[in-house]
Amino acid sequence: MQMGDVAALDLISDLPQSIIEIILTCLPIRDAVRTSILSTKWRYRWATLTELVFDGTCVTLCNDRSLLEKSIVNFITRALFLHQGPIHKFKLSTTYLQCCPDIDQWLLFLSRNDLKELILELGEGDWFRVPSCLFNCKKLTRLELHRCEFDPAPNFKGFSSLRSLNLDQVLVAPDAIECLISSCPVLESLSLTYSDSLDLNINAPNLKYLYLEGEFKDVCLENTPLLVEISVAMYMTDDIAEHFEQSSSCNFIKFLGGVPLLNKLVGYIYFTKYLSIGDDPGRLPITYSQLKIIELHQVSFEDMKEIMVVIRLITNSPNLTELKVSGSSNSLAATEEEYDLDLWEKECPSDCSFNHLKFVKMTDIAGVPHEMELIKFLLKNSLVLETMSITPCVFLKDRKLSMLIDLVRFRRASDQAEIIFVQN
Amino acid sequence: MSELNMAVIKPEEVISHVTASYRCSFSSHVLIVECFVLEEGWGRVLEMMKSYIWIETADGSLQQVEQEVAMFCPFICHEVIQKGMGSSKNHAISLPQRVNPAMLSLMLDYCRFHQVPGHSNKERKSFDEKFIRMDTKRLCELTSAADSLQLKPLVDLTSRALARIIEGKTPEEIREIFHLPDDLTEEEKLEPLKNITDDPRIRLLNRLYAKKRKELKERERIKNVEAEEERVDDRSVDDLLSFINGEDSKGIKTSKNRKKNRRKKDQLKNTSPSEVIEINEQESNGLKGSDLGETSEKQDVTDEMFASKPEFDDGDVDDEIDPALKEKIDREVEDFARRLNSDWPERMQEILSLGQDMKALHHSSNGNGTIRKYTDPEQK
Repeated sequence: MQMGDVAALDLISDLPQSIIEIILTCLPIRDAVRTSILSTKWRYRWATLTELVFDGTCVTLCNDRSLLEKSIVNFITRALFLHQGPIHKFKLSTTYLQCCPDIDQWLLFLSRNDLKELILELGEGDWFRVPSCLFNCKKLTRLELHRCEFDPAPNFKGFSSLRSLNLDQVLVAPDAIECLISSCPVLESLSLTYSDSLDLNINAPNLKYLYLEGEFKDVCLENTPLLVEISVAMYMTDDIAEHFEQSSSCNFIKFLGGVPLLNKLVGYIYFTKYLSIGDDPGRLPITYSQLKIIELHQVSFEDMKEIMVVIRLITNSPNLTELKVSGSSNSLAATEEEYDLDLWEKECPSDCSFNHLKFVKMTDIAGVPHEMELIKFLLKNSLVLETMSITPCVFLKDRKLSMLIDLVRFRRASDQAEIIFVQN
Repeated sequence: MSELNMAVIKPEEVISHVTASYRCSFSSHVLIVECFVLEEGWGRVLEMMKSYIWIETADGSLQQVEQEVAMFCPFICHEVIQKGMGSSKNHAISLPQRVNPAMLSLMLDYCRFHQVPGHSNKERKSFDEKFIRMDTKRLCELTSAADSLQLKPLVDLTSRALARIIEGKTPEEIREIFHLPDDLTEEEKLEPLKNITDDPRIRLLNRLYAKKRKELKERERIKNVEAEEERVDDRSVDDLLSFINGEDSKGIKTSKNRKKNRRKKDQLKNTSPSEVIEINEQESNGLKGSDLGETSEKQDVTDEMFASKPEFDDGDVDDEIDPALKEKIDREVEDFARRLNSDWPERMQEILSLGQDMKALHHSSNGNGTIRKYTDPEQK
């Protein structure tokens, strides 16, 4: 082979290692590892990659599940064995792999290699029990676990560099989570989904992003002054509902009492109900001057307390720009009930005006009186409103016309406002 | 552009006629456009001028480039601000070697578009996609050039494009596209990452690694071993093969390497197996093919290494080791792994050649037993 000539034509091998690493990191790990058989120069170039992402594409698919699992394990073990140097990011995300002892070994290896980001998502079988060596990863900045059992050692002092924590379907004692959160001083982003019903006190002075989904018995944002974005999807079981009946502390204040820098609030399912529990806070001690986007889904406009939550929120957000509300009223409920429509007059400050509200989207509207009052209130007080979009709920057939008739009468403060009635 | 060029030359020629001074000032990416007022003989000319900077590419050619565009490159920005270069022909900014005029012009096109703040993300993305459409050779050159001017967004863009080219292709296709030399023919067959689940040779190798690691720890306690710089094994596989077979090499190799190996070959002939281990450790990269010269001696080496039981479950043990010692061991293992990896081609070669002889034999699952079977017929 005439080596001399070919070397002159070689386009890519002489690029600096940093660029080769960028290129290899963009490739799926299997292609990256395969470059080791391109030529002598490429033999070990993949081996110094600091980001390793293993997923289902690592191995050729076949029908035999145990063979598939075996081949993934082999691939990862050998790749780690051949790897040189620090590994900053390790992501293992495949449903083909169940919990197996090799994973423990890999984590041990990684914990000695300056691991900074760990993402672990395994199959639906037995949940993986996170080994203690994980807690020795001092430089961890991002941790994401799915379907694992997590049990920090009693003398665990926390991850001093952890910025992002994401625990999804993780089995862990509630006080262990609280402890973990409070012992990570620079934690900025927290996501807890589908853990068992938790009773949580969140103490995270640097927290900016909070994402909760699942059943929660009680959540108290004890110390989260820098929180910028909250998104909560709260499910409820009968037990929790009962627990709520008996509670008297004001959930609204417990949750939203200490977040002055809040920029975006999103709530699903029973979130508004959750906030409504407890004593009425009255005039709020806090103004959400940075709150620009509010999304409250599945709000029951037949529950006075939930309506109050909505009123309190929007009247304390002077810079609100975007509002999305979806109703969950049972339109078949008795319409004989007295609706306390004076509520709006009483509770809303007379000079309340939304100087920045531009987009409002109301969905699943059943035409319940309080829903109409909200729309009326918004139209009357939004000076720069551009779009009010209303989507009636699917069950509504005969009330559409009367809803439209009411809508047309409402006064509008903004001459730019368009009311879009969405028909499906 | 040409008429503006003329305008640049004019002030220098008629500087005595100028009453308003021409100043150019800038902060890192903001250009302040100055008006240039001419008197006497130029009439009522009032021109808006962009300022230009002088750039010299590696081939010696000079050109003028709009300042605000060029300043988008951190390298050029640095040269202008920190060193005050670029203001005149004599003080042109000289670009690194990897930037030729064609690449410079491409990069300036990129900068010209992106330095305008008005474009939306969608527009930028669509520009990038069109921009990237070029042949592979130019793409590689552009990546290199962008890297030397530290223009990271362009480096990322071109790298991603190169990755897309590589993704999903067979090694042959990739070699053809990038003109890579196919100099791994035999080792290709030994590709350790093929998913051969029950290959006893691979298991053998893993045990070899574990043994070697232990050996190294022992060695560390006795004396200081200097970490050697890893040298890339770039000799042809034909060469290695020829050593096994004892023939003269057919491949093109430097005489220097050949001499070194011959010397080692002689050395080995005279040393006992235990000393072979020492040589292996001390001159890890010099090992390349030397020990392959005498396969029988090699068998003794491996034989020795397997004399004691291999340790596999260090997993739990390690947890109790004192952290300082742990660090030390980690470093050693890392160092050792690095050296081992450079030995990899030879090891595989050797194992494969053994394997070919031993195909008929039954492999027992007992590691020691397997080795014995390998070595027996070879011992002279």
